[in-house]
Amino acid sequence: MTSRNADAQLDSSDVSGVAGALSTLLVKYPLHKNYYLRVFAQAILTIWAVLTVTFFLVRQMPGNPIDVLIEQILTQEGISYQEAYDRVASSFNFDPDASLFDQYLDYIGDLLRLDMGTSITSPGTRIIDEIARFLPWTLFAVGSGFLISFVLGIILGMSMAYYRDSALDHAMSLISSFFTGVPNYIWGLLIIIGPGISWNWFDVGAARGTYDPGLTPGLNAAFIGSAIEHALLPIITYVLATLGSWMLSMKSSTTGVLNDDYVNVAEARGLKDRRIITAYVGRNAMLPLFAQLSISIGFVLGSGVVIEEIFVYWGFGHYLFQAITVRDYTSVQGAVLILSSTFVFSNLFADLTYGLLDPRVRITGEK
Amino acid sequence: MFRRTLYLLMALVLCLMAFAPLQAQDETLNVAWPYQVPPTGHFNTFASNGITLGQYQDIHEPPLAVLMWATGDYAGMVAEEFGWDDDGNYVIKMVEGYSWSDGSSMTADDLMATFNVFRLRGDAVWANMTGIEKVDDSTVKFHMDSPSSLAERIILTTNLRPASVFGDIADRAAMMSPGDDGWDALLQELTEFRPEAPVSGGPYTILPDTISEANLMLELNAGGFAGDVQNYDMVRMWNGETEVVTPLVANAELHYITHGIPPTTEEDFANRGIDIVRSGMNNGPGLYVNHAVYPLNLVEVRQAIAHAIDRIQNGVVSLGDSGVAVEYMTGMSDGLSEAWLSDETLDSLNYYDYDLMKAEELLTSVGFSRNDDGIWVDDNGDTLSFELTFPQEFADWSAAAENATAQLNEFGFDISARGVQFQQHPQDIYASNFEMAIRNWGLGDPIPGRSYLQAYNRYNGQGEAAGEGGGAGMNFDNNVDFSGGMVNVFDLSNQSSQGVDKDAQAELVTQLAISYNEVLPAIPLWERYTNNALNRNFISVPDSSDSIFANFGGGADNWMTTLILSGVTAPAEM
Repeated sequence: MTSRNADAQLDSSDVSGVAGALSTLLVKYPLHKNYYLRVFAQAILTIWAVLTVTFFLVRQMPGNPIDVLIEQILTQEGISYQEAYDRVASSFNFDPDASLFDQYLDYIGDLLRLDMGTSITSPGTRIIDEIARFLPWTLFAVGSGFLISFVLGIILGMSMAYYRDSALDHAMSLISSFFTGVPNYIWGLLIIIGPGISWNWFDVGAARGTYDPGLTPGLNAAFIGSAIEHALLPIITYVLATLGSWMLSMKSSTTGVLNDDYVNVAEARGLKDRRIITAYVGRNAMLPLFAQLSISIGFVLGSGVVIEEIFVYWGFGHYLFQAITVRDYTSVQGAVLILSSTFVFSNLFADLTYGLLDPRVRITGEK
Repeated sequence: MFRRTLYLLMALVLCLMAFAPLQAQDETLNVAWPYQVPPTGHFNTFASNGITLGQYQDIHEPPLAVLMWATGDYAGMVAEEFGWDDDGNYVIKMVEGYSWSDGSSMTADDLMATFNVFRLRGDAVWANMTGIEKVDDSTVKFHMDSPSSLAERIILTTNLRPASVFGDIADRAAMMSPGDDGWDALLQELTEFRPEAPVSGGPYTILPDTISEANLMLELNAGGFAGDVQNYDMVRMWNGETEVVTPLVANAELHYITHGIPPTTEEDFANRGIDIVRSGMNNGPGLYVNHAVYPLNLVEVRQAIAHAIDRIQNGVVSLGDSGVAVEYMTGMSDGLSEAWLSDETLDSLNYYDYDLMKAEELLTSVGFSRNDDGIWVDDNGDTLSFELTFPQEFADWSAAAENATAQLNEFGFDISARGVQFQQHPQDIYASNFEMAIRNWGLGDPIPGRSYLQAYNRYNGQGEAAGEGGGAGMNFDNNVDFSGGMVNVFDLSNQSSQGVDKDAQAELVTQLAISYNEVLPAIPLWERYTNNALNRNFISVPDSSDSIFANFGGGADNWMTTLILSGVTAPAEM
């Protein structure tokens, strides 16, 4: 059995077509003369490098999809190795002996055609369909937690800085340090064991999943309400685990700004505290956090793995975890493509937009 | 500002409390098995990631028969009558009057479709079969090379699939042979086939709209096999592995699991009034040695190791009451030994009791001695220093490895234990990249010869059976010279499951048992018993002394689905 259909091979016409298009673009828009094109090209190159390393690295992991499933079957069922092998080997569209280089060319060829391929362990199932099934839930839950955590952290951090050295500041610093030190999976377990099992505040089983069974996903109140309800525990966990670091960062940044001359001048001019906090202090204190925020966005997709497993809230993290566990190489590659693209482009976004917020580092277009 | 923050936090807490506690549903059976949700999971139960529900496949794709382990007899399920005819072919007459959930009748066509798809997949059952013939609407004849109790078992434990779903592919497969044009394409078509909905022939059918990562529901399929004797309207199948389902059991939302749980969890469950059901699994961890490493190839050394390890202690330390020390050391479970070996044979075996004096005697008999530090030195002057590897993620095997290491070192070996990533570990064994290792002996199967396939095949030239030419594994010479003469133990283990003459099979099994007991190619430590958590406050099944619990609790023939199909499992209040 071959690893790909014959029509999926990367042939020379594909390569020459892509190369031709690239050379036309380079003549029209020379990279070395345009900063934006250059950083975009660097981003694409970075993603390609990550994908290439991932492609070869996952194949160096112990076992392959066939081995892993055989071991699972042997562990769960009382059948012989040969029966397990017969059952597994014939049901995968995967040839462990196929040339790595051929597989790589197939993979890159598919990607150039915007085809992420099909799952090895679920033959015929497109990777893009699987990602579309899981990704939105992570974006919703972790993204919501991320935003809530960021906004709360900014507000509380500024307050800590504004009332620095007060009892409030000391108490909040202690709390935020504690929150920062406890990892998200511990928060998740504490929520299940404490409010869930010991105090019966909520039903552990009913809270699982991304929405109640039987509902039709769409813009209807029942589904949206159910989705929010099921996302609450992951969101709370994520907020608890990240709030402290935003608070401390914002406090640190705000404290620095509060000592600047222009703030003293604003106070001397008799401006209202509210205006000083928002227009003078807040805006400038936010600048360093903007870069941190952009980088953190890149981590959003990958940071929910453990939380999603603990709450059985299957999103992108679960998908990646499962793909690695069963050595579904094509699924891992698809997930890493999404992850690396998110990370690289969020950084690129930070690079390109930071100048809009801070004129001191603005890029003039051509360098 | 702080007041607003406080309000926000309070709102979050109130939302948390809004989850209403779930009341126990008496008419719903709550059990668990891991599955994948669509689109990864699907309803093609012939393909990987199909939502089969593991051992609970029996309740939506019923088996032909179930072996009652206490008696050794098969109880018919979908197969009403079954057995060998005078020509050595196997004939099955199916029950009549049942239908699939899509309305189609359950007939011989379903059996034909099921086995023709097996042929397309290359399943092992076709190794002994030459053809399959529909005799009438309810009867099928399996043409065999020669009668075999193994083939009988594989046939009878098959889960029936609907011809209305798989018939088209099965019919085309029946018209072709492996290697024909289109054979590979048809196989690919099968693996990529995605039925739109599950079709059940058992008492319950999966409701596709209820599938979530948390659980799925199966509703009563009254027209299906055993649908008329059920005591539940619904079955809720919780999803997940041990760490995921444990809180649900503790919270009394999930009432029966087959997941292996650690002794501490077992104790917690017992304190909550949850019963722990133990059935022998016919397998467990053993101490494997690489026979290419001197002096582990010497039988006296392996026997000394067996005497130097207190297996009772090792089992209890590793898995509490479910780690039961192996007594007979025959390479199969004690239960199978007692079922297949005569009392005379059992009495003649070496039980390898914990006896350090005997271990010392064995080592000195081959010229070994202790050095000044009390460490054993072989006849070449080398200390008995070895590395013992184990899959580090398996808590019970890790404990077994560390305990065995400690006991052997106390006796005078110099062993260092090292954990290896669990997916890498078997690969190391297959590739002979080990000195000593903890791997499994035995098989959860009632046919005794199959227990030896771990030692004589899987870990000793893995891949040979699959035609892959794998590594040498433990490098054990399968040509064994023992008190009964010279035998090839791998051939013997295969031969012992051929034919249908139980006395003749027992004779071969006896040779296997005695030769293993004498040579000890690997040293069984303890047999794993299930520790299935059963909440009898919600589920009514017979008392633990009932013979049904002899049935292995995890795979084919498992007692829970057997009782469901028999209409015995019921809500506790009834």
